[in-house]
Amino acid sequence: MREDMSRLTVFFLVAMVLGAMVQSSGWSAAYCKADSRPVEKVSIRDLVENLDHYDRKEVEIEGEVVGDVMRRGGGAWITVNDDPYSQRSLPEGGQHAGVTNTGIGVWVLGHMVDVISYTGSYKSKGDRVRIRGTFHRVCPQHGGDTDLHAHSLELVERGRPIRQEVPAWKGPLAAALALLALLLWRKMYAKRRKRPGIA
Amino acid sequence: MILRPRRDDLRAITWGMGRIVLAVGLLMLIPLLTSLVCAEWDMAINFVIGMLSCLILWLVTESHRPKKRDLTWFQGLVVVSGGWLLATLFGAIPHWLSGHFQSFLDACFDIMSGYTATGLITVQDLDHAAHGFNMWRHVLTYGGGLGIVVIALTFLFAGTAGAFRIYVGEGREEKILPNVVRSARAIWMISLIYLVVFSSALWLVLMREGMPAGRGFLHSLWLVMGAWATAGFTPQSLNLMYYRSFTVELVTLVIFVLGAVNFALHYAVWNGRRREILKNIEVRSFFVTVLLTTLLLAIGFVREGVYTDLTTFFRRGFYNLVSGHTGTGNTTVFSVAYFKEFGFLATFAVITAMAIGGSACSTASGFKGLRMGILFRSIRQEIRRIMSPESAVVMEKVHHLRDIWLTGEVVRTAFLIILCYCAIYFAGAILGMAYGYPPHVAFFDSVSAGSNTGLSAGMVGPTMPNLLKVYFIFSMWAGRLEFVSIFALVGFAGVLWRGRRARKT
Repeated sequence: MREDMSRLTVFFLVAMVLGAMVQSSGWSAAYCKADSRPVEKVSIRDLVENLDHYDRKEVEIEGEVVGDVMRRGGGAWITVNDDPYSQRSLPEGGQHAGVTNTGIGVWVLGHMVDVISYTGSYKSKGDRVRIRGTFHRVCPQHGGDTDLHAHSLELVERGRPIRQEVPAWKGPLAAALALLALLLWRKMYAKRRKRPGIA
Repeated sequence: MILRPRRDDLRAITWGMGRIVLAVGLLMLIPLLTSLVCAEWDMAINFVIGMLSCLILWLVTESHRPKKRDLTWFQGLVVVSGGWLLATLFGAIPHWLSGHFQSFLDACFDIMSGYTATGLITVQDLDHAAHGFNMWRHVLTYGGGLGIVVIALTFLFAGTAGAFRIYVGEGREEKILPNVVRSARAIWMISLIYLVVFSSALWLVLMREGMPAGRGFLHSLWLVMGAWATAGFTPQSLNLMYYRSFTVELVTLVIFVLGAVNFALHYAVWNGRRREILKNIEVRSFFVTVLLTTLLLAIGFVREGVYTDLTTFFRRGFYNLVSGHTGTGNTTVFSVAYFKEFGFLATFAVITAMAIGGSACSTASGFKGLRMGILFRSIRQEIRRIMSPESAVVMEKVHHLRDIWLTGEVVRTAFLIILCYCAIYFAGAILGMAYGYPPHVAFFDSVSAGSNTGLSAGMVGPTMPNLLKVYFIFSMWAGRLEFVSIFALVGFAGVLWRGRRARKT
């Protein structure tokens, strides 16, 4: 009985320490679960094209985190894209969508970004996140930037490394060009030896 | 009458073009090394294919080189304009193979935009592009800003008297040093020193702003290359908005203002002639036009009730205005902001600034400060002449490293070039409107392309009609080379086409 009690005490202690660790790292449930309040879900293109309409309103966006997580002053800047390449990028084998990327800078509190492991680049697919926050046409806190201040950040899909493959035809093409260059070089060299100073 | 070129003329022209293409191939070594270091094997092989293609063209032209390895004026001009076109086609090979472009035309568009230090893009999914790909974009714009011919002159044309002719053909009239090859090397030296100093400073800033050291290093290098070349290319699609940093904006602003200053003036100041800054007509002209357009911008913002506090005005307004004035194209606003936020007056201020551009013999384009100075002084000269007695001789001069008297020829040439710029601005706008774009958007983007600026109000992009892409390639090319070389190439193509048999004896 006494042994059981001491086991239980140890279990509770471990649980409390783990709980404190999770809380202090900021990876709390609040940032992983969807916020249930009704908020307008918009595309980033909508936001950018209707700056006045959405100014200082709470909105929800969903997209891929790309580039860098830039931590500064107790928070961090991330860039979220929701163009077709955020679903499947060109290095992943995605199709041309006829657009450049569509993204926006999101200001998140420092502990929120801990859930982000992958950011979109040539070598990786970025984490897909759902963000609720206040949109600013001219942000008073950040020198007039157009940005979104996140209230909650939810991980929708974990990113992953992208495996790069060289198309099979490129190697032989390079080899054929190298061979041609070598032949032309030899021909030019022979021509110059025959008639030095002239072509 | 232009005489039909003989076989030796053709050989001299193709030999010159071959050397320019070889210079492009050599430049590809830098992104190739970047790709290898970053283990981007697919991009690396794209650059190998691109380099080998350039090498093959050079070998073909070199094995048919002329007996007399020198270029006449006409040949020099054709070599430059044709060389730029060939360099575009060959430089586009790695771009096209990267898969980031819908068509080869799009790849050529971005390459011409890079060489001419314009900064307009049709690239897709830039945010997932390889480091090697971005290195190529920025190296070619850095090299193009200085001049592809300057690169070729530095290494590949040494010792030929025709070197000066192709140097002039690239839109530069001033020799920094008596020897044109030394002038080209001086341009390189000035640019490389600024690159090292500013990219080191920017690297520290970017790390302070939260970027990892490795990416911070690459981004600082690319931002300085893009800003110094007054191209405005950046490695992320959000352009300067990606960094969300006032300091980054401030540093890049200083860089592109310096980039828009005449290389000869840089050299003069470096050699102790500091008073030249105050006396130089281009500096004065730049100061006055920036002041006037800033005033217009401020009035526009007040009328619209936007960006009225000082920080916002500086970051969202003044930064973009000076970026436009120097022909850079770095931006801190979304493209739709130009017609949805700025309002007519502020947009007009930016368009005017873009049309005027930077200095002659710099990385900037547009009318140029020197010509604006000549334009205003010649108007003043006419007013003074009207008000003076008939017997009085009224002559004005401008100071640009030396005093230049405003003779009829100087004024006529300046007016002619300004007229040519206006023609390409209007033609592009009309074409854009014919495709259904709103007039202000079409005019904004057309001026941006013709003045090699790179700001966009939303017309330029991957879905733009092909004819417009072709026109803007022409517009960027003509604007960068300041028309004379283009006229020579058109004349050359004309005589080849007509097949006249008249020969020089």
